[in-house]
Amino acid sequence: MLRLLREDAGLTGAKPGCEAGECGACTVLLDGQPVTSCLVLAGQVDGSEVMTVEGLERHGKLKHLKHAFADEGAVQCGYCIPGFVVMSYAAIRDGKASDIDGLKKALEGNICRCGGYPKILAAVTASAESGKGGP
Amino acid sequence: MMRLLNYRWIQRPVPNPLGEEKATGVTRFFSDMFPQGCLMAKTVRSPHPRAKVKGIDVSQALRGPGVQAIVTAKDIQGLNAYGVFFQEAPVLASTEVNYVGEPLALVAAETEEQAEAAAEAVRVDYEQLPFISSMEEALGPDAPNILPDGNIARHCVIEQGDYRKALAESHLVVKNTYRTQKQKHMYLEPEAGMGYLDEAGVLNLFVGGQNPYRDRLQIARSVGLPKEKIRVVNFPVGGAFGGKDEITLQIHLALLVLKTRRAVKLVWSREESGAAGYSRHAFKMDMETGVGRDGKLTANRAVLFADTGPYMSFGPSVMDVAMETVNGPYIVPHYFIEGTLVRTNNGMSAAFRGFGAPQANFAVESQMNIIAEELGLDKLELREKNIWRSRARANFGHELGNCEGLRKCLEKASRSALWKYRGNIRPARPWLKSGVGVAVAMKGIGFGVLPDYPAAAVEVHPEGHVTALFSNPDYGQGLIVSNAQLVAEKFGISPSLVKVSNADTNFVPDTGGSSASRSTYTSGGALLDSCDKAIAALKVVAADALHTRPDAVTYSEGMLRADAGELDIFRAAGLLKEKGAPTKFVGTFAVPRFDSPVSGSLEIPHMVHSFAALLGEVEVDTLLGTVRVKRLLFYPDIGRVINPVIASAQCDGGLMQGLGYAIMEEHVYDASVPKTRNFTTYLVPCPTDSPVEIGTEFVESTEATGPFGAKGVGEIPIIPVASCLADAVRDATGVRLKQLPMSPGRVLSSLPDQKPAEATA
Repeated sequence: MLRLLREDAGLTGAKPGCEAGECGACTVLLDGQPVTSCLVLAGQVDGSEVMTVEGLERHGKLKHLKHAFADEGAVQCGYCIPGFVVMSYAAIRDGKASDIDGLKKALEGNICRCGGYPKILAAVTASAESGKGGP
Repeated sequence: MMRLLNYRWIQRPVPNPLGEEKATGVTRFFSDMFPQGCLMAKTVRSPHPRAKVKGIDVSQALRGPGVQAIVTAKDIQGLNAYGVFFQEAPVLASTEVNYVGEPLALVAAETEEQAEAAAEAVRVDYEQLPFISSMEEALGPDAPNILPDGNIARHCVIEQGDYRKALAESHLVVKNTYRTQKQKHMYLEPEAGMGYLDEAGVLNLFVGGQNPYRDRLQIARSVGLPKEKIRVVNFPVGGAFGGKDEITLQIHLALLVLKTRRAVKLVWSREESGAAGYSRHAFKMDMETGVGRDGKLTANRAVLFADTGPYMSFGPSVMDVAMETVNGPYIVPHYFIEGTLVRTNNGMSAAFRGFGAPQANFAVESQMNIIAEELGLDKLELREKNIWRSRARANFGHELGNCEGLRKCLEKASRSALWKYRGNIRPARPWLKSGVGVAVAMKGIGFGVLPDYPAAAVEVHPEGHVTALFSNPDYGQGLIVSNAQLVAEKFGISPSLVKVSNADTNFVPDTGGSSASRSTYTSGGALLDSCDKAIAALKVVAADALHTRPDAVTYSEGMLRADAGELDIFRAAGLLKEKGAPTKFVGTFAVPRFDSPVSGSLEIPHMVHSFAALLGEVEVDTLLGTVRVKRLLFYPDIGRVINPVIASAQCDGGLMQGLGYAIMEEHVYDASVPKTRNFTTYLVPCPTDSPVEIGTEFVESTEATGPFGAKGVGEIPIIPVASCLADAVRDATGVRLKQLPMSPGRVLSSLPDQKPAEATA
């Protein structure tokens, strides 16, 4: 599915970091649930809804998250960040961003080698706060 | 006291304009480029650590569907070797291979699958040779020579005074051996690039790299094209950390484009990057450090060995930095430092954030902590007695600059609650042990004595903005925003009016690369000089327009003023343009350098240093051997802080990579075969490893030669982490580990109640 998204649909927000489900850089939502798209066969998603980071942005779902990531300094090289953003969106939506340990656990499958975790966690927490009482 | 200047645009958290674009997936990395009709390429690599190559048969592979070209050493018109200092590594091996993953041939085909199949169909006839899998073997009497000049790639000794006598007369001598492992960069975007020939016959290469002009030089030298016929673009890059400072796939991509005359894309898989990419040098360090009754260091003997792999690459720099670091930022009257760079068949080691500093810091700071324990002194107090003083004669004969920041780092650390109340931490379970550790670090900014002549430019556009042009790639440091802030501050205009052109040999002057904590210092310096030149030229044209003399024109906040009137810089730039005069101004920066390198070294000494003190709190599980890092409190002196948010992001990142280096990361070679080529076998910190508290508090400091007083931040945070956490583990368990990483197995087997026989402190 990762190759289908990138090479056929031109949606390069999902990134190949390992192509083995280890790094989370290719995370997208499959019927609402976060998956590493490198491990999903394209044929398996026939009839499903796939939401990429581009889709979330187009639907106005990233208003708080994108600003928080930029303002908190959470974006360094940025290659892993779209994966983090998709995973963070799901974490906030599912109420997993209210305490820091829960949030760390929710984001556990995503790797940022620039080591931006403290600022990524701060950005998601800030975004969850400002998103309260409406999207 | 210096007057506190009130800055408008620096020392502020101006948001990185790339942040949102990267967060929403808009930014296209080179891996994301899929131009129509682009060929896909694959590399044929050696599966053997050392072998004679008796022949390469590409005939069957060439017949594969979609195959457009196969490149071997025979296609190389220029030098079939690369290397920043010494050109030892073949671009494509043809007679012998010396590490697993060494490239022999390149395949370009219409699709990735076709290229992969053809790469597998290339037949290489090998005769396996005995290989060398450790430094001990390499230096043994019966070892085969990896290269004709032997297995010692470099050897140097730096000596001052009489260390033997000084050690003999010391109150206390601490003698230990330290070992550090290979560390992998593991950038999320592996080595990647895309290239094509344009209508003018210029070879355009968009490649993840750290130094576009130097890469261009190496590419030109090998493919036999003049430099001017090659364009290298290094922005954006999905992480580098030193691993893309040397040539990776640039020359390969150039050869493929030249042979096929088509657009070609070459991306290494994670496993290829894991095997053929570079890593940090593993070190063995024998240390003997003497101290007087008064706590002042008397002598240091450091014998360092580093595994550089078969070809040196950045090895000489790494060893030089280690040798310069191994006395710490301390006055050591007598010393003997010996460095040996050893060849093995364990893959190539090259640059990694900090060069050899994290390794040597682990040795010298562990020694300092042991000395303090033995003397019953506070660990920070021991440092305070020995640190460099401003304007003092340093260890390597040069006069030190401003070292006030170093003392302030120590002060801040010693005043912190974590240090003051470190004895009061009580873990929640009886098998958990808490401890607090400390370490100090230094890092020279830039290349020391090596040539470094950065140039950068600003262009003032009549349309109403300024462009800052520099070649140091921003691969995540935030240089694009911090340099925009520097230019904005100098011109007195908003940073939103400053655009950036980065790391493209077609458009920007050669500012050098992003490495050695030099980017802000060098590109900032050159940009400020170009701003001065711009303002001087704009004053001349403004004087003309206002019918006055140039020295009667004043400049502030984007406005040129005289008695007769005023105009802004953009209008003035328009007037320059109408006269056919340039509106782009190139500035340079003179990096302060010592007259000559210390005998035996390439780049020692550096004249400007960043400093830091680090406190770390750990919780050790004595049943599992796991080390949990609870707190990292970092007190760095990086000179003037241009943008506190991105500077502290750099610190978080360096601390996290240091945390990985200290407790989990190890690139394992078994019989010279790399075993840890992916994120499952090579562990890096993940979000749950992020400490409960990680904080950076910059000390107030300015460097007279730096742009608005700035130095550099890239490397200093990674340097003291391992030594600090080893000290924290010692504080928690009573056992000091002298080998990295402090992985669960190593911690567990060192604990006295587990295996008393091995509990050597």
